[in-house]
Amino acid sequence: MTLPGCAYIRDDAPVDTPLPPSAKAEIDGDLVYFNWADYLAPRVVKGFQEEYGVKVIESNYDSMEGMYAKLAAGNQYDIVFPIAKWVVKLRREGKLRSIDPAQLQNADQVFYSGSYFNQPWYDAGSAVSVPFTVYKTGVGWRTDKVSTMTGSWQDLWNDEARGHIFTLDDQDEALAMAALLLGYDVNTAKASELEEMKKLLISQKGLLRAYSSDDINNMVGGDAWVHHMWSGDFLYLQQGLADDPASFDFEAPSEGTPINSDAYVIPANAQHPGTAMVFIDYLLRPENAIKNMNYLYYPFPVRDALPAFADLAKDVPACNVEISDLENENVFRLLGTDEVQRRAAMWTEVKAS
Amino acid sequence: MARARRLERKPMFAVVVTAVFFAWLYLPILAVALFSLNDKKSLSTFSGFSLRWYDDLVHNDALIDSLLASLKIATVATVGSLVLGTMLALGLERVRSRRGRVIGAVTLLPLVTPEIVTGVAALLLFTGVGLKLSMTTVILAEITFSIAYVTVIVRGRLAGVSLEVEEAARDLGCTPFQALRLVILPTLVPALVGAGLLVFALVFDDFVLAFFTTGVDPQPLPVRVYSSIRFGVSPAINAIGTLMLIGSALLIVAALVLPRLFGRGTSSLDLITGGQK
Amino acid sequence: MAVLDRRGAKPAPRSAQRTWLWGALLALPTAWMVAFFVFSMAIVVLLSFGRTTNDGFPAFATSTANYRALWNDVYLELFWRSLLYALATVAISVLIAYPVAYAVALHGGRYKNALIAAIVVPFFASYLIRMYAWKALLSDDGLVNSGLRGSGLSDGVTFLNTPWAVIGGLVYGFVVFMILPIYASLERLDVSLIEAGKDLYHGPVRTFFSVTLPATRAGLYGGVLLVFLPALGDFVSAQLLGGASTFMMGNLVQQQFTEGQNWPLGSALTVAMMAALTVLMVAYLRATSTQAQEP
Repeated sequence: MTLPGCAYIRDDAPVDTPLPPSAKAEIDGDLVYFNWADYLAPRVVKGFQEEYGVKVIESNYDSMEGMYAKLAAGNQYDIVFPIAKWVVKLRREGKLRSIDPAQLQNADQVFYSGSYFNQPWYDAGSAVSVPFTVYKTGVGWRTDKVSTMTGSWQDLWNDEARGHIFTLDDQDEALAMAALLLGYDVNTAKASELEEMKKLLISQKGLLRAYSSDDINNMVGGDAWVHHMWSGDFLYLQQGLADDPASFDFEAPSEGTPINSDAYVIPANAQHPGTAMVFIDYLLRPENAIKNMNYLYYPFPVRDALPAFADLAKDVPACNVEISDLENENVFRLLGTDEVQRRAAMWTEVKAS
Repeated sequence: MARARRLERKPMFAVVVTAVFFAWLYLPILAVALFSLNDKKSLSTFSGFSLRWYDDLVHNDALIDSLLASLKIATVATVGSLVLGTMLALGLERVRSRRGRVIGAVTLLPLVTPEIVTGVAALLLFTGVGLKLSMTTVILAEITFSIAYVTVIVRGRLAGVSLEVEEAARDLGCTPFQALRLVILPTLVPALVGAGLLVFALVFDDFVLAFFTTGVDPQPLPVRVYSSIRFGVSPAINAIGTLMLIGSALLIVAALVLPRLFGRGTSSLDLITGGQK
Repeated sequence: MAVLDRRGAKPAPRSAQRTWLWGALLALPTAWMVAFFVFSMAIVVLLSFGRTTNDGFPAFATSTANYRALWNDVYLELFWRSLLYALATVAISVLIAYPVAYAVALHGGRYKNALIAAIVVPFFASYLIRMYAWKALLSDDGLVNSGLRGSGLSDGVTFLNTPWAVIGGLVYGFVVFMILPIYASLERLDVSLIEAGKDLYHGPVRTFFSVTLPATRAGLYGGVLLVFLPALGDFVSAQLLGGASTFMMGNLVQQQFTEGQNWPLGSALTVAMMAALTVLMVAYLRATSTQAQEP
């Protein structure tokens, strides 16, 4: 502990530490787990606890920034599930340790020869991460209420659904949607482009019901007829919840859709990295991946589990994320502080006006 | 002097408003309880009775851990704030200097500060000194926020304790400390019970402060519920909500019953609301 | 509440004031409050002049950029909106609290304590889960609307994602802090005053305004303070139940500490918010305490 405030006396010098080597995949204590809420099937977690005789101590974040703040404050988690661009950031700051696929018995489920994940854009050589899930963002709608969908992001301005339109309460997603409509890069931070995007988003407010990430509940409760939505959430809504699946549909707009992926990482200061490695291996078992997919309705790129997902998503091909999708340019990349703050200021003005 | 507590005519307007108020108050609670027994995930249509969500809850170690964490935090925070709040109340009541009034004002500040401000301030403080966020930091923050409630309630009770009783004890040869221990504290016990139960309930249900100060330890239940609510449908939440409600109800019933053991006519509600008979 | 009504307290006699004990008792809690509350607020103020490093972490600096950024039409509009919502919350809370407290205090009889307990129990049992239940109940296809349509009363009302939903959420969360103080005041009221008032004023409404209200004003003032200030800084209600244009000050602050990654700006906003609240509170206390001086 230091004097109050000492932690806020910092400079901008970059961190240059070598990557700590990978731990062996053997149990070395209870697993301290940090993830979104309800992101793994509870029975899978319970199965892990029973098979290996360890406890899983769970903490949740509700945003990547919140996750990062807790990590930066020195909390020691054993396994975290960041979004792709945050893998870049954490690695750059020396906060991760290496994960050696050779330690994982099921490594070939994701790192098979020719797999995209051997060299994902966010982790050269796949040194620090193992892919968890992939998803895209599109538009979900009620087929029984709206019949004039055009397959474009412009559908979020559909007058037929006036007062029943929702945009995701997520800075990157909302800005990406506006950028794609205007033909800009989804990561843009240029002042002139941000200004145009701001005007576009504000023009939506007369038709918009709310900014909300609670897409499933908004749709199932009937408040939403058109919802900016994540592909996995839509599948869960249609296949897992809806009384009448035919009354819902999903589209991946033609201007392009943001593709995102989550990954497992092990922080450099983890106290039980061995258990974390065993946990990753356990989750890569096809039968566990299938259980997770049936719970979450998101695809896990585990080779032997993919046919099961194709089956789940067979009625909604737009929800499928092809490997070729992963190589497109609509991914959220790490940006500098100034750029992030410009984007944040714009987003705040949109929400507050 | 007996006071007539009954008025002749029942004011229909007030009674109707009260009835509507109770309905409004309990509607979501009944809905939570009802849908915790629903056999489908839906929150709009009830299709049949089932205990599956309670079964899910029992298998959901994370939720159970959160429940236990919340209980632990609430217990420690209650004890801590009772001790500190009572000390503060006693000191403020007897020390009549300008300094005392300033301290009194500062300690009341958390009561009127929006929780997000105290949450943010606590986060900045802990991160700033390099203290790792953990259950301890949550407890520290909760105690700080709860002292004010205890102080207000205990001072309310103290104001009724006649100084002459204490003076008499002193005249009979008690040291100030003995007067405190043997005379004042016993009369405060009902207030302490009432304040303790109030603080326990507030801390157990608190979310904003806990949200900013949790670490790697199992997070308190409200933080967990908030994360679940923001993004999804989790009917097990209804199950745990119903259980929490029943727990709180039992607590409040205890709050009503316990002080009666200290004498008829004393109710902790009087203590909470400051009324004295 | 009792602490607001000090008129009956006698000044402490000298012998009780000769007190190392009482001063000593003050020491530990004061040290605690200074360590945790005062220091943390101090850091908030200091950080409001800070900046964010390249890796997104807050750092001390000497910049007034954050305060300059506050002088923005959008933020000012947010302040007025939050003020409006908080005032509406207070007004509705008073309209609910008086009849309820009146009915329970003066007509509850034997069931008084049970009734108050029945009011208090829900309020101390998971606000979040009750909000979640309201979302499900009030959605366009939820139980309430289904009931309205089924009984032919209406075609369905849009409850959620409106300013009224946010205000409703605020009232739901804070009304108990208005009911309890008013109830306490009513409890200590001599009922014969009301009886006399009825004879004098010949009507329940005039009696209320001329007798009951002034006699219970200590409770009312306490309740207003306890509801208005937290409601002004609330963010949960707007986040769960709000619409496209219901953003409140609390949401703005929360945004800076999460997606916005701008803790210094968030700190500046917090300082500004606390300053505004303090001004309002002091003005309010001045206005109400001069009235309380009257016998």
